[in-house]
Amino acid sequence: MVGQPRFTLFSLINGFLLICVAMATLYPVWYIFVVSLSDTAHVVQGKVFLWPKGLNLEAYREVLEDSKIPRAYLNTIFYTTLGTTINLLMTAVAAYPLSHKDFFGRKWFMLMIVLTMFLNPGIIPNYLLVQKLGMIDTFWALVIPNAIWTFELIILKSFYESMSSSIREAARIDGASEFRILFSIIIPLAKPALASIGLFYFMGHWNSYFLPMIYLNDSVKYPLQVVLRDMLIFNEGNRSNLVDAAALAPQALKNATIVLSMIPVLMIYPFAQKYFAKGVMLGAEKG
Amino acid sequence: MESAASRAGNAAGKPSRLAAALKHMKRDRQLLMLFIPCLAFYLIFRYGPLYGLLIAFKDYSVFQGIWDSPWVGLKHFEKFFSGNDFALLFRNTLLLGFLNLIFSFPFPILLALMLNEVRLKWFKKSVQTLSYLPAFLSVVIICSMVIDFLSPTHGIVNKIIQAFGFEPIYFLGEKAWFRPVYIISEIWTNMGYESIIYLAAIAGIDPTLYEAARVDGANRYHMMRHITIPGILGTVVVMFILKTGSMIRIGYEKVLLLYSPMTYEVADVFSTFVYRKGLLEANFSYAAAVGLFEALVALVMLLAANLVSKRIGGRGLW
Repeated sequence: MVGQPRFTLFSLINGFLLICVAMATLYPVWYIFVVSLSDTAHVVQGKVFLWPKGLNLEAYREVLEDSKIPRAYLNTIFYTTLGTTINLLMTAVAAYPLSHKDFFGRKWFMLMIVLTMFLNPGIIPNYLLVQKLGMIDTFWALVIPNAIWTFELIILKSFYESMSSSIREAARIDGASEFRILFSIIIPLAKPALASIGLFYFMGHWNSYFLPMIYLNDSVKYPLQVVLRDMLIFNEGNRSNLVDAAALAPQALKNATIVLSMIPVLMIYPFAQKYFAKGVMLGAEKG
Repeated sequence: MESAASRAGNAAGKPSRLAAALKHMKRDRQLLMLFIPCLAFYLIFRYGPLYGLLIAFKDYSVFQGIWDSPWVGLKHFEKFFSGNDFALLFRNTLLLGFLNLIFSFPFPILLALMLNEVRLKWFKKSVQTLSYLPAFLSVVIICSMVIDFLSPTHGIVNKIIQAFGFEPIYFLGEKAWFRPVYIISEIWTNMGYESIIYLAAIAGIDPTLYEAARVDGANRYHMMRHITIPGILGTVVVMFILKTGSMIRIGYEKVLLLYSPMTYEVADVFSTFVYRKGLLEANFSYAAAVGLFEALVALVMLLAANLVSKRIGGRGLW
């Protein structure tokens, strides 16, 4: 915009409103961090707003010494790693045959896959199936029944289709098997797309609480989000007797756990935004 | 997209059609092998549960299993429609979905338009990056924030209310506040990342249009009004129809964390009811019947949305 004044009244108001938006998104996250570093007594009196009061790392020490939280953290890492790996492998392999225009039965297979986006039998039939397969209370229940997300499969299939087929053809003429072509040519070339859908799979596993909550019975196997949820419900239950401030004692502990659970997400988030935006866009185009 | 093989088959009649299919299968055997895990996954985990839906028409008992449980016809549906549950859940689900759609829909568009007006690159980038931070947070964390901020004893919102001399409000315990709280937290969570779609639509507008407008003496308001907004209108319409179609798919994972017996009357939606009846009270058959009804309503709405999209935009959603 050459030749226009840089700071008009309009752009000042606009800028101010956008700063408000940025603050509104940042503040709740900052607040959690501040509370996790504050003295609980100050928190329950509602004295903590912008900066930690009674700065201490007590809550973090408690988290590390807690009987459930460190294990839950390891559980989350395990479920997320295994789950994302299975997701990516299954999706990367499944999308390949479907990306061939003249693949046998392609039209019917695609119909079968796309239809599932409209048929959602609901929680109960899924639960009964997982139960029938003996997966209740095992980590398999978290990684197998959602091994492929239809949306991500279609995104990856489109990406494969958009890749030049000449290398593929050349490899085929040289006698390479489809398996070989997929794993040594297609998948390495599809890394940006895989990173994009991998990010969504990763976030899905890392942040999920509902499926672990219904499929796992043994609290030793709980991931972090379920433990956090139990802390919420605990506070919730005690909030009805408003005078009992001591019931809110785990505030700092809860928020320290949240901070620790957010660390990996916040670490990848600035780098992941390119892939994130791409994933949202691809999704919107397909949608 | 007919393959050469099947076209040859059509010309030569049935027996050779089979032969052609077999030949086609043989040619694609390696690809078919690679497809087996995917096929198995979809058949077992996406179509398999449809079998479990049978219990909506039976009195399911864990000991007898799905097949041997006695048939009861439409008993559960009759119970559902004749009791109070149906009216309550239908109203809550539809109202929450509708209000959420209407109130949260404009925000990502506004944000995209506002970001588009920013000339300082670093400022625009920073605000945008921050704005979709919430999309990376889990629903448990978001609900934890909501509960903390609205707490009657130490929440910042009630501190502000008290500073103005009013009584603190127990937001999560009052029926009237449930929907606003849910919708505002949805706006906070989704505004940033949904604006990505509109920003991309804006980026797709032909820059020569702006050049021409500037030559003609248009100011920024004129350009937004006559170029940017018409330029993204197609995207806006498609997004709106898409969201209408999936309106009743409430974020039940969030509702489960925010509601309580005190607010069931306004907060209970199909999915949360199914979860409570089925998994907490082990009333599987009744819950499955309610779930099936919800799935049918969702399907009808999606198909209707697609029809409207085809009428208006000339293209369907899929």
